[in-house]
Amino acid sequence: MAILVDKDSKVLVQGITGGAGSFHTKRMLEYGTQIVGGTSPGKGGQTVENLPVFDTVDECIDATEADTSVIFLPAPFVKEAAIEAIYAGIKFVVVIPEHIPIFDMMEIRMEAKKYGTTVLGSNTAGIITPGEANLGIIPDIAFKPGRVGTVSRSGSLTYYVADTLTRSGYGETTCVGLGGDPVLGSTFDEILKMFDADPLTKAVVMCGEIGGVYEERAVSTIKKIKTPVICMIGGVFAPVGKRMGHAGAIVEGSMGTARSKLRVLEEAGAYPAKTFTDIPKILKSLNV
Amino acid sequence: MRLFEFEAKRLFAEKKIPVPNGIVVTSPEEATAAVRELGGEAILKVQILSGGRGKAGGIKKADSPDQAFGLAEELFAATIKDYPIKQILVDPLYEIKKEYYLGVTIDRANYKLVFISSPSGGVDIEEIARTSPDKIFKESFEINEKMYSFQAFGIAKKLGFTGDLLKKAVPIIKGLYDVFKAYDCKLAEINPLVETTDGELWAADARVSVDDDSLFRHKELSEMGIEKRHEEGEMTEREQLARESGIPYLDLDGDIGMFPGGAGFGIMGNDFIHYYGGKPANFMDSGGGPSPERLAKMLILLDENPNVKAIFGARFGGISRCDDFAKGVITFLREHGLSKPMVCRMTGNMWQEGVKMFEEAKKETPEVFEKIEIHGIETPIEEISKRAVELAKEAN
Repeated sequence: MAILVDKDSKVLVQGITGGAGSFHTKRMLEYGTQIVGGTSPGKGGQTVENLPVFDTVDECIDATEADTSVIFLPAPFVKEAAIEAIYAGIKFVVVIPEHIPIFDMMEIRMEAKKYGTTVLGSNTAGIITPGEANLGIIPDIAFKPGRVGTVSRSGSLTYYVADTLTRSGYGETTCVGLGGDPVLGSTFDEILKMFDADPLTKAVVMCGEIGGVYEERAVSTIKKIKTPVICMIGGVFAPVGKRMGHAGAIVEGSMGTARSKLRVLEEAGAYPAKTFTDIPKILKSLNV
Repeated sequence: MRLFEFEAKRLFAEKKIPVPNGIVVTSPEEATAAVRELGGEAILKVQILSGGRGKAGGIKKADSPDQAFGLAEELFAATIKDYPIKQILVDPLYEIKKEYYLGVTIDRANYKLVFISSPSGGVDIEEIARTSPDKIFKESFEINEKMYSFQAFGIAKKLGFTGDLLKKAVPIIKGLYDVFKAYDCKLAEINPLVETTDGELWAADARVSVDDDSLFRHKELSEMGIEKRHEEGEMTEREQLARESGIPYLDLDGDIGMFPGGAGFGIMGNDFIHYYGGKPANFMDSGGGPSPERLAKMLILLDENPNVKAIFGARFGGISRCDDFAKGVITFLREHGLSKPMVCRMTGNMWQEGVKMFEEAKKETPEVFEKIEIHGIETPIEEISKRAVELAKEAN
């Protein structure tokens, strides 16, 4: 078992004929992901990596029974594409591109809630269930099937944490990238609940960073769920008011500081890890 | 992206919000003429992309056109909140009876737009929240919802408006919401909304921040001369240089040059350095698949920074592999050289090959690699952080 994506997920790529779309389609296929086709309005009938290309998501679903979508499109086209997928009945949408307007992400989120769709991103490296499926741009080298889930706002931290889990023998159930943009399709609390419902996931590592309120939103969930949560928050020594790479990573006044996030998460019962090497030590102490 | 007050007021005027008939000036001569035009006395307000300019001495009252010349001369020569003064807004005076606060922003936690209002305007909303939280009203909207007049009426009633003023307040409240929606704003604020003794309402100050990522669909803003800009204060020379090369970079006050990989680990790696008793000289996002040219630019930024005593390097080989990274760095070291010691770790895709390339390159030209320490997956990144701190201490 895993969350959100596994070997049975039937995946379509929106923007499959583009440079990034076709490159990563090949990689995802090589990993064993069940990619069934793609869309590119006006290019229906072509093929990419021997997969059929359709003009619309509806047509793609009719022909392939796709239930999951990964979006590789320039930012101005993402809102339309995501809402097309949501209306067509896709239950899981991964938005890889960055710099999506905030209003667009708000609208995507609103429609997704109405239709019961889960959206990841924008600006996410994607999601991987090791040994089963890899959606997005995640390099699979650090990942092995196992018993710890991860959820992170950053791609590079996802890799480092997975590398740590893999080398210490724990491995991962599913690794989820929420994305680095200021408004995100899914939040920590929602993903934590999914992991809690997955019998194979024995613990979750949650990596946050300065800025925003998504870590704080996880507090009541961490209190409720049985699965232990280890948290790492980047930016304890970050300067105030300066953006650090991710558009969402900016501290405004005392809001959104790493210290305030760590404090509330710890109070809620999460186990703080300062560095990667702390993670296996904490897991061991929890008998995971 | 924050707008200047005079730009924000132009957007307000588009939506029929009453704004004072102020004049933007760029010289003391123009300031004198503007004050004369406004009847002989006026307020001079420096135009900077930061709040708190009043306290910092950026707002002056001119009692005559002649006095305006001297005041403007002083303001143009000053640097206020790190900003050089290029423009001053000359606004007419009015007899203030009461000040209100109106603002629209995004509630990211609940995915809603929120209209915030208060009858205790004129100070920061943070201060109102601290001193009189019961005098702040909030109404939430879905992203696709418009504001109806009856809703604006409800807000105006809460603020205590009656009679003629109530009629005048409704279109202002609605107009502010419309500005927020029309221009993809992150914040639109009238503070204060001034009620004058002669029974008028004016947006006396305006603060608008638009979403940079939406500019592709707002050609009307660039037609008004509102272009993409840096909004976090003045940049240092190195920050400017990095920005021109598209490298996310910030100068910090330590002595360890950071060359860490992606943004997420870039933020975390800076914390690691602090945990082991050091201080980073910068933040950098050196992730993605940097070309050899970009790698060189990044390393030159660190090498030419006199504050940097040692360099911390990390690479998680993904789609862009460690051997490509090694090749780029080796070429740079041979062609350009590095005047600072560097400790660097590679892991992920093709890390063994990367480490081997460094070993072989060192055999060929040992003098180039004298102060370069390369590690692979067997050395935890925490040890690399410790080592960078040691190297910086040794160099001091």
